[in-house]
Amino acid sequence: MQNPLTEQFSAPLTFNWTLSYRCNFVCSHCYSRDEQCAELSTAELKQIVDRLVVHQVPFINFGGGEPLLCDNLFEIAQYARDKGLNVSMNTNGWLLDETAAGRIKDAGFRSVGLSIDSAEAALHDDFRNQPGSWHKAVAALDALTQAGVRSTMSSVISRINYRNFHQLLDLARQHKVSQVYLHNFKCSGRGFKNREDLDLNPQEWKDFYLEALQVKETTKDLLLSFDDPVIASLPGYVDNSLVKGSSCGKLSLHLRPNGDMTPCGFIPLVVGNILRDDFEEVWYNSPILNKMRNKEAKGKCQGCGAYEECLGGCTARAFATTGDLSQPDPHCWK
Amino acid sequence: MKTLQRNPDIVWRVEKRRQQALLARLEAGEDISEEGTVILLLSGMMHQLNLLGGHIWILCDGQRTLAAIVDILHQEFAVERAELEADVQEFVDDLLQRGWLNYAKSTD
Repeated sequence: MQNPLTEQFSAPLTFNWTLSYRCNFVCSHCYSRDEQCAELSTAELKQIVDRLVVHQVPFINFGGGEPLLCDNLFEIAQYARDKGLNVSMNTNGWLLDETAAGRIKDAGFRSVGLSIDSAEAALHDDFRNQPGSWHKAVAALDALTQAGVRSTMSSVISRINYRNFHQLLDLARQHKVSQVYLHNFKCSGRGFKNREDLDLNPQEWKDFYLEALQVKETTKDLLLSFDDPVIASLPGYVDNSLVKGSSCGKLSLHLRPNGDMTPCGFIPLVVGNILRDDFEEVWYNSPILNKMRNKEAKGKCQGCGAYEECLGGCTARAFATTGDLSQPDPHCWK
Repeated sequence: MKTLQRNPDIVWRVEKRRQQALLARLEAGEDISEEGTVILLLSGMMHQLNLLGGHIWILCDGQRTLAAIVDILHQEFAVERAELEADVQEFVDDLLQRGWLNYAKSTD
């Protein structure tokens, strides 16, 4: 019983929630390091949770900024958990010691993702511009395991790791990680500034995905996930998602620290404010969201046989490089 | 008597607007049996249940037996009880096999 349902989703399945843009790292690829935004009070954050409950949003994923810098993170997480939401977060792990892991467990987090971009400590530390960060992140994985919290690993694929991502999988196995997300590189924020040094060219992306998909096929002890819609243009690729193209604005939205909603963290277009605006009006009628849901093929996408599968690839990347949501994904190899 | 309950690891949601639209189409005599109204999220995958399947899913709250569920549906759908029971049994068996439902406890 599967058929496309996207346009009828009554609300996003996930809110990617940035409580604060504050961060203790200055990562080379970060989309948000230069962002500044007012932050809400704990009472207002709880109001947001209440609204998510009303609209039956099942998942919250805290990101940032570094969520563990927020004093009210655990209070908000537990409040959301008590209301039936599934709560997770992504962290750089710097502050995730045994005590924090215990608090994460107590707050009811469903899982915690650690950002680790290389199996080599020096490469990771250099990419994250933070000496010692690799060891802290790996120790954080172990602290989560000790506390009984499911851990995942998030690795942004770039020039520093695309040839040896196998080592990242081995690292994950060693530290009892259940799932590895190999994130595609987004050229937003510092990622845009450092694009020349970090991003792969389209042919390299194609070669990477062909190999990574083969590894995924044969890997049974570890869940391997990609979130890149451009993969759908690979011949024979079978997509199990209900959504074609980018999931942003279809399955998920991003919340900025002041309650503003954007399609995703990488697209800085505000579609409304969750505390001030009628959510259903925004969700169903936002011109920006509807444009993303009903993209028109432009440029080389016009007449491309794969367009029906990939819908132009990653909308955020297209927007970051051209200012147009409907332009082709610059990672596209076709 | 064994009651049916949903696997607590499955996150699910009724798509209310779509449900309303489908009910209107059903009233108009359309076949909506392949259209989803309840979405289930499990291990990173999404699945959908149609109107009847979604109704059964909601009723599997750990308090009702299969017979009790059939009784409720029989009041709402104009079909013979035996036919309805067979359909519900087949659907429930499929979900039990998938591990999406299980028997909660004996209330004997």
